[in-house]
Amino acid sequence: MNLHFQRLQLQTRRHLLQSSGTGLGAIALASLMNSSRGEESSMPGASDVARAARTGMAKARSVIYLHMAGSPSQLELFDYKPALEKFHNKECPQEYLEGKRFAFIRGVPKMLAGQFRFAQHGDAGQWISELLPEFSKVSDAACVLRTVNTDQFNHAPAQLLLHTGQPRLGNPAMGSWVTWGLGSENQDLPGFVVLASGGKTPSAGKSLWGSGFLPTIYQGVQCRTTGDPVLHLSDPKGISRTTRRQTLDALRDLNEMQFQYVGDPETQTRIGQYELAFRMQTAVPEVMDISREPEHILKLYGAVPGFSSAAESADDPRVLYKGDDPTFANNCLLARRLVEQGVRFVQLYDWGWDHHGSSPGESIDETLPIKARQIDRAVAGLLTDLRQRGLLDSTLVIWGGEFGRTPMMQNNVRDTLQKGFIGRDHHPYAYTMWMAGGGIKPGTAWGQTDEIGYYIGENPVGVRDLQATILHLLGIDPYRFSFPWQGLDNRLIGPTSDGKVVQGILA
Amino acid sequence: MSLMQCDFRPLAIAGVIFLLTDLSECQGAEPVFFTKDVRPLLARHCLACHGADEDARQADLRLDLPPAPDANSETAAAIVPRHPDRSELINRITSADPDRRMPPPDSGHSMTPEEIVVVRQWIAEGAHYETHWAFEPPQRPDLPAVSDETWCRNPIDFFVRQQLDAHTLTPSPPAEPAVLLRRLVLDLTGLPPSETQAAEFLKDHSDESYERLVDELLASPGFGEHWARMWLDLARYADTKGYEKDQPRTMWRYRDWVIDAFNQDMPFDQMTREQIAGDLLPDATVNQQLATAYHRNTMTNDEGGTDNEEFRMAAVKDRVDTTVQVWMGLTMGCAKCHSHKYDPISQREYYRFLAYFDQTEDEDRPDDAPKLSTPTTEQSRRLAELNTQIAEVRQRYQVSTPEYATAKQAWISEQARQPAWRPTTPVAATSENGSVLTIRKDGSVLASGERPATDVYSITIDPQSAVKDSPLTAIRLEAMTHPSLPRGGPGRTKNDPNFVLSELTVEEVDHDGNPIRQLPLANSRADFSQNNWEVQKAIDGDPSTGWAISPQQGQPHTAIFQLQKAVAIPPGLRLRLKLSQQYPANSLLLGCVRISVSDRTFESLSADPLGLSEIAAVPESERSDEQNKQLDDAFRRIFPQTATIWNELAELEERVKTLNAEIPQTPVMKDRPPEKARTTYVHVRGNFLEHGDRVQPQLPEAFGQVSEELPANRLAVAEWLLSKDNPLTARVMVNRLWARFFGRGLVETEEDFGQQGSLPTHPALLDWLAIEFRTTDQWSIKRFLKRLVLSSAYRQSSVVTDSSRQLDPENRWLSRSPRFRLSAEVIRDQALAASGLLSRRIGGPSVMPPQPDGIWKATYSSLKWETAENEDRWRRGLYTFLRRTSPYPSMITFDAGSGEVCQIRRIRTNTPLQALVTLNDPVYIEAAGGLARSAASVESMFRRLLVRAPRDEELQRLQQLQQQVAAEFQASPQSAADLLTEARVTEPELADRQALAVRIVLASVLLNLDETVTRP
Repeated sequence: MNLHFQRLQLQTRRHLLQSSGTGLGAIALASLMNSSRGEESSMPGASDVARAARTGMAKARSVIYLHMAGSPSQLELFDYKPALEKFHNKECPQEYLEGKRFAFIRGVPKMLAGQFRFAQHGDAGQWISELLPEFSKVSDAACVLRTVNTDQFNHAPAQLLLHTGQPRLGNPAMGSWVTWGLGSENQDLPGFVVLASGGKTPSAGKSLWGSGFLPTIYQGVQCRTTGDPVLHLSDPKGISRTTRRQTLDALRDLNEMQFQYVGDPETQTRIGQYELAFRMQTAVPEVMDISREPEHILKLYGAVPGFSSAAESADDPRVLYKGDDPTFANNCLLARRLVEQGVRFVQLYDWGWDHHGSSPGESIDETLPIKARQIDRAVAGLLTDLRQRGLLDSTLVIWGGEFGRTPMMQNNVRDTLQKGFIGRDHHPYAYTMWMAGGGIKPGTAWGQTDEIGYYIGENPVGVRDLQATILHLLGIDPYRFSFPWQGLDNRLIGPTSDGKVVQGILA
Repeated sequence: MSLMQCDFRPLAIAGVIFLLTDLSECQGAEPVFFTKDVRPLLARHCLACHGADEDARQADLRLDLPPAPDANSETAAAIVPRHPDRSELINRITSADPDRRMPPPDSGHSMTPEEIVVVRQWIAEGAHYETHWAFEPPQRPDLPAVSDETWCRNPIDFFVRQQLDAHTLTPSPPAEPAVLLRRLVLDLTGLPPSETQAAEFLKDHSDESYERLVDELLASPGFGEHWARMWLDLARYADTKGYEKDQPRTMWRYRDWVIDAFNQDMPFDQMTREQIAGDLLPDATVNQQLATAYHRNTMTNDEGGTDNEEFRMAAVKDRVDTTVQVWMGLTMGCAKCHSHKYDPISQREYYRFLAYFDQTEDEDRPDDAPKLSTPTTEQSRRLAELNTQIAEVRQRYQVSTPEYATAKQAWISEQARQPAWRPTTPVAATSENGSVLTIRKDGSVLASGERPATDVYSITIDPQSAVKDSPLTAIRLEAMTHPSLPRGGPGRTKNDPNFVLSELTVEEVDHDGNPIRQLPLANSRADFSQNNWEVQKAIDGDPSTGWAISPQQGQPHTAIFQLQKAVAIPPGLRLRLKLSQQYPANSLLLGCVRISVSDRTFESLSADPLGLSEIAAVPESERSDEQNKQLDDAFRRIFPQTATIWNELAELEERVKTLNAEIPQTPVMKDRPPEKARTTYVHVRGNFLEHGDRVQPQLPEAFGQVSEELPANRLAVAEWLLSKDNPLTARVMVNRLWARFFGRGLVETEEDFGQQGSLPTHPALLDWLAIEFRTTDQWSIKRFLKRLVLSSAYRQSSVVTDSSRQLDPENRWLSRSPRFRLSAEVIRDQALAASGLLSRRIGGPSVMPPQPDGIWKATYSSLKWETAENEDRWRRGLYTFLRRTSPYPSMITFDAGSGEVCQIRRIRTNTPLQALVTLNDPVYIEAAGGLARSAASVESMFRRLLVRAPRDEELQRLQQLQQQVAAEFQASPQSAADLLTEARVTEPELADRQALAVRIVLASVLLNLDETVTRP
């Protein structure tokens, strides 16, 4: 029996009961314990409401989502557009500009050819840029989606739409939805863990892993790369583990006395949460300690235990791109360790992909190769490592930004091509993501863009489709998976039925 | 029907199942009611397609209202009263045919057999519709008969006792005095009882003493702070603007307004009026306008490329949704995109209502305009003092002796005869980066053609033509308007005809333009300079700074520059002025400039577009008052008797300026003038770019009319919210106040009194309270709260007995006092107060107590967390700086909000992360340190927090721990020393530091007790 399942279940039910007009007496508590015990084998974790949406056909057990905050250029990485060459440095045809809003482009910009060489790789012959040599070697594991599109063209709303289903704040993150729906499989760790690299958190901030209207126990717990991995995890100086254990024993006994006297079951829940906190104090640093990994695994990812990025405290964003910062690689390795321990949803954010060309620190010609190098080996290592441990089949790995970048160069700063200042604006109409593992058809490419990569040619994949597909792979019916709040049955895929599971990419 | 008839009998589930098996028995069952029993089922399964939303309605069938008399036969056939078997609705919901079955199988909905029985019974009983209870105005109910009147201290108790009787429950005995005291003080002030309060009340806990204490607490400043926090959740208060950049914003004066309002017991109707429309009240005071910052707590998006109109509309919609949520307990947000599925609000009605709010000036600008100067009381006092001094000095300054008049007259004549400024006609004007510069007849230089990002204009003049041989002292640069320039200029960029004069240099050149020497510039003045772009920056040698004039685009501006040394230019030689304009974006270039020169002393020169000598030349009879004043001011500055006083005055005025700069500028609501009124449209599918029909301000039909005597503005909305015909405002507010004392509202869904919300457990009590609040209490919150806490219901014990657990497991009927976890702020404040660390300073800018490193790492912002080292470290929780994208972590962990949107109630959670906060957050270690130092024994620490004395078994357990920890520290003295440092106990002279360290560990245990973090 898994205690944490029960705890989560209890939490959720208590929340639902409280918010639907009931409280919780000891008898009700006992009955919940009993019922959850009875259903444990067939339906682990999760709430009744979420349970109803289970399809029983889960392909993936956990998710590692690698989000490149700022949005990398698909035209330099995955979407090979030789035709763009002939328009290079010429004015953008008017048809692509009419009625469009851009973040920074004004007037008529010039087209910009892909800046790096592409070649076909693997058995599937995927077109991949020279910036990703390591990924190219394992590309047969992935399904590349070239036609992802969104309707948001600014970072924060686009990130929110993708991860919470609404471009506004206040809705639960995908990871919260999923842990609410499926529960967790580790009694000593949170079910939804967030890791950030690149020196800054993404534009939309912590709202990206908030639990919105779902109970707060489902909010993402950000494990940090320096200091305590979880806030206030370490005991203060002077409190040894022995002392901590002794204090918690005393606390438990005193709370038990209080329970005997007052009879409020919430007191017992609190006793349980203090015990979980105590276990987390050991379990979290353990799982977060990558120095326990053998040398060849560290090398596989390019991970460096104990690395503390100088960029973490830098104000000037340009500092962030200097050198081969291994923070993202460390996070990829952590993601594997967490998934291995039964964590349901691991969300990585890597900041620094917003390459407008407004400075050498934010450019396609200078910064993108550095950022690509920071993730290339790490991502390839993650896929390889998951496969060799037999985890890839049950782990869905997702990579991508919140939108793409324009086939035009950005012209508000400079009109002419200049080293260190080559950049592209935000492009919501078509961009590339890839998925691998848990139920995804490997070695495929899905969808075509037009000859310059501006619009979608065939098989579009909207944000809603992406969300529906992810839930489907986890064995959740995206349409029935809803939470009643403020008069609506709220869903990750939004109120309409626009989102469709992308059948063509399923294994 | 009235609420009293709408009695909420428990629907016996067993009975329903029985009905399932034998429908003929339904006559004997409890009748079902549309509102209570049927409507929720329809709302869940049917109304999305057969409800109020015209666009979504299928088959023209509406089930939430009785069919119109002229309904077609098909609609009429859906529900045939008293004949369920002839009703198409029943046929459909029970059909086995998937094509006929309702709800359609692919909708994800299906009705359970129990639900079908309810619908069937309702039709069998006649299919009576009732209005939703909350949309009927409250009626004052009579006091019900109860089993034991002696228990009832006030009318509240009659209503509570009645429901207890109805559910065969009895109230719990009164709480022990120590528990009651702690409960009362925490509930009213968010702080633990002081030792004095505890000592007094434990000695005398009579009713009189209790009531005295209630009065004392209501009058204490902590009351306003505690209740302000409740209201700030509703106001979505924060210290930053939100969205990606999330820059800081000065809003704390509004927070202090709320504290004052609660402390002064401002009646709720006045609070409502001032916050929604204080600016529209006759002769609105600064405080009344400050109140409207309530609706300026909406977010502002400073990200590049965003459409200001999009985010202005987002803010206006937020105001509409928040107003309706906070005052009427209804969710209106969904009607932005489509008509409300459940409540009677169509999309058109939404935008009509929005039209009331659509007229304010704010428009998502980075500067958050319009703002109001909102001095604190102290600042107002100092300002008044300075102004008195200035008036006094000015009186001395304004001498009007005959000598003065004569001297002034002579000076004016001299000025008029000798114009101070002589225009020059340039001999050459060239551009470095391709602007076309044309010299015009009036001596000005006009730019046209190419518009480079940056430029340097070189203008060569012949000063001889202007001043002959007298030495040159100053140069004037007029940035002029011209019809060929966008908005008249003086800049060249369409969206922003500002300019930035980065650097002005002057050199002497020979006839062929070969440079001879630089002529350095010393002083400068301008008629106007943009904030942070003062004219002096045009001669500071730094090309990244300069002189600019926003927001005064569209008007001419003048700057004058003093030559460091007066210089005579020999005939044949010339001056070349270089106007360097290096602002990197938007081509902020001068469109039209003219250069003049002067030989007067710089002090006597004016930077006015119209120079003093020009004014002096105007015949006295034609001079305006303003012109006369300018002449007078200028002369007083050089007239010997007044010149010294002028310096004194200048210094005082400088102090006023400094003070004014310190006065917080708070964003407020302000309507646009009528001629600039906005037109409001329906937004198709909620998209601000897709305009539907034009709409006029109007209330949703279901909610009646605003008074016709009032103009159609926000004030009318406020008055309508407060009118006695409004069925919701008073109910929603009393329910909210009730919930803070009884753990949850009489209507549990505080945020939703609509058809999807929960029904009141004590409908008569809710109505009685609403009417009392509005009439007897005259909207006084203090009077209202006093009544709540004086009731016997409030004073019950919270011990969960076996019988109350079985019969009232969720405490719906109040058979005991609720226990619930304290709020984030109260847990913090309690710990700090009990430990003696809490600062009792009220109000002021938000503060930054310790938070873990690296929390603030949001993108694109330079905002820094600077941990307070003074008393600001230990201020009450509501003063903690709240950054929307990165709120204070320990507060969030305890379910506080981020202030991004209105938070009607906080859902209480119980998580391991909370344990880590109260065990390890430095705030709590420091509190443990304070507690251990100020209380001599474990027992007295215990009493500080919990008022009651520890029971023997508790004391023994604590003593056992004390021995364990003492042994540990004995073995490792360094640990004890480390812990003292962590707890900031640094005094070396303290005796027995090890014992103190042990007490700190015990104090930390006490701070983590379930009882400590729970309202008893």
